[in-house]
Amino acid sequence: MKKITIDPITRLEGHGRIEIFLNDAGDVDKAYLQIPELRGFEKFCEGRPAEEMPRITPRICGVCPTAHHTCSTKALDDLFKVEPTPAAKKIRELMYCAFQAEDHIFHFFFLAGPDFVVGPTAPAAERNILGIIGKVGLENGGKVIEVRKRLRGVIQTIGGKVIHPVCGLPGGVSKTITEEERKEFIEAAEYSVGFSKWALELFDSVVLKNKEYLDLVAGDIYKHRTYYMGLVDRNNKVNFYDGDLRVVDPNGKEYVKFKGRDYLDHIKEHVEPWNYMKFCYLKNVGWKGFTDGEDSGVYRVAPLARLNAADGMATPLAQEAYEKMYEVLGGKPVHNTLAFNWARLIETLYASERMLELARDPELTSPDIVNLPTETPKEGIGVVEAPRGTLFHHYQTDERGILTKVNLIVATTNNMAPMVMSVDKAARSLIHKGEVSDGLLNMIEMAFRAYDPCMACGTHTLPGQMPLEIIIRDPEGNEVKRLSRGIS
Amino acid sequence: MKTLVLGLGNPILSDDGVGIKVAQEIGKRPKDPQITVAETSEAGISLLDFVVGYDQVIIIDAIQTKEGKAGQIYRLKPDDFSSAKYFSSPHQINLVTALELGKKINLPMPSKITIFAVEVKDVTNFSEKCTHEVEQAIPKAVKMVLRELSG
Repeated sequence: MKKITIDPITRLEGHGRIEIFLNDAGDVDKAYLQIPELRGFEKFCEGRPAEEMPRITPRICGVCPTAHHTCSTKALDDLFKVEPTPAAKKIRELMYCAFQAEDHIFHFFFLAGPDFVVGPTAPAAERNILGIIGKVGLENGGKVIEVRKRLRGVIQTIGGKVIHPVCGLPGGVSKTITEEERKEFIEAAEYSVGFSKWALELFDSVVLKNKEYLDLVAGDIYKHRTYYMGLVDRNNKVNFYDGDLRVVDPNGKEYVKFKGRDYLDHIKEHVEPWNYMKFCYLKNVGWKGFTDGEDSGVYRVAPLARLNAADGMATPLAQEAYEKMYEVLGGKPVHNTLAFNWARLIETLYASERMLELARDPELTSPDIVNLPTETPKEGIGVVEAPRGTLFHHYQTDERGILTKVNLIVATTNNMAPMVMSVDKAARSLIHKGEVSDGLLNMIEMAFRAYDPCMACGTHTLPGQMPLEIIIRDPEGNEVKRLSRGIS
Repeated sequence: MKTLVLGLGNPILSDDGVGIKVAQEIGKRPKDPQITVAETSEAGISLLDFVVGYDQVIIIDAIQTKEGKAGQIYRLKPDDFSSAKYFSSPHQINLVTALELGKKINLPMPSKITIFAVEVKDVTNFSEKCTHEVEQAIPKAVKMVLRELSG
């Protein structure tokens, strides 16, 4: 049969595109980042019963289904004004922690990790999971597969399906946990705690003991002095499932703390003519452009932001790791974007420890798993910390519970402005007098990967990744150079 | 031969769901104990969980190529994607890397993998329906998969 050459195309808005404009001196004038955006989801939902949302929203993309499912379920709690039972909350949080740990582990070992473990300048062909296994050995590589399998087992048992959980109901969950299942959760959590400790040791020996990498993490190239936001519990410790949103300023001081349902009083979206994506900012600080500092409303979310926005971790081993990171990187808050990778591993340890706490709680097997709603629905807002940052679901319905308006702020949107800034800063440090360093593409990708952005489009269609293209233009707009990956 | 027919894609993202629709059509046919039909919206590494333990795997997915015409169907092998093996992704690794990883860690990997890829048009607007051209390609893709299954 005829051999077909696969030639993935540059589809309109279907890939990451960076345009860099140079000034007369050949230095960077401005860099633009455009990423794909899916459209029409709100319209797709309107007219459907709100109860369908926990099953529909996980289908937005295959990357963070559990986050959408959980956030949607919480929005329904709020919509029907019904508080979940204590056992239901624990079951939901346990599933959520398993998901968070699994997602973070995947990111570190398959996506960001290769840059560190194999090396940022290693050939692209080695900078992947296969290269990592080459470095850490087959036995350790097997651990990565095993921990994923066990964590996914927990999600499957509670959620029904790994990819599209179906357990969440307004006021609770649909299925009780048996004693036998609880024991399996304990085993999975113990394995995951052990694994997370090993992952942090690996980070310590490979990254922190290597001056070149440490300089890269602690260096200026991706540093931005921004605000940070994340969910915190009653003691201002990081929580993924519930709590209040806390924002700290670039000096680490609490700026504001608010309930998820008041998000519109604090977060606003800015629109730029060159991008379909919206840029979130702190409404009461104001939009001052793509710039950092106290006067700019730009804030960041996701692992490092959550650690910065909190006073610590609620579990002992994660707390130790938390303290160590701030000690090594010179105190709170840490503004270095590459430290997101370190924070991600600390969160993995927390998620695992928290899973273990919840699994050991005998209340998990309580038959009291749902409170039935009795109120007439009108408006509901849910919030969770997705692996990639704060996620909001906001639904409005008629009195029958039929959706009339849907608004989602997905995690990556919160980080869009900082991502543009990171790209701009990397470009500035790598392009001088018209000379473009060959490392530019990878350095920009490293900034991307640190945020672990979710761009749903790129994940399904073959060949299964988002192509990235960088176009450099002179002041007249003529193309000077084009770097691309995944686009021929 | 223990065979898996796996439809990939997002069933509510227009043409992105074409692979799932084809798999669903196959699933409506009389059951054969040797053949499992499944669908998933996951990509990359998660596909390993599906394919491990089968002798033969047939994957149906959406594709966009440079000169492609919506509705065109390609019969491909994993090697056809080898040029894309090491590309980075925002949050996934690709199929070929996943398959290679499975081999490397000695999982029982299928010896025969065939991919039917349908050229798509719209994968950015939410809809349960495919575009006209892609919708029309579904019966043709079903036939191609059945031919593959028979041998």
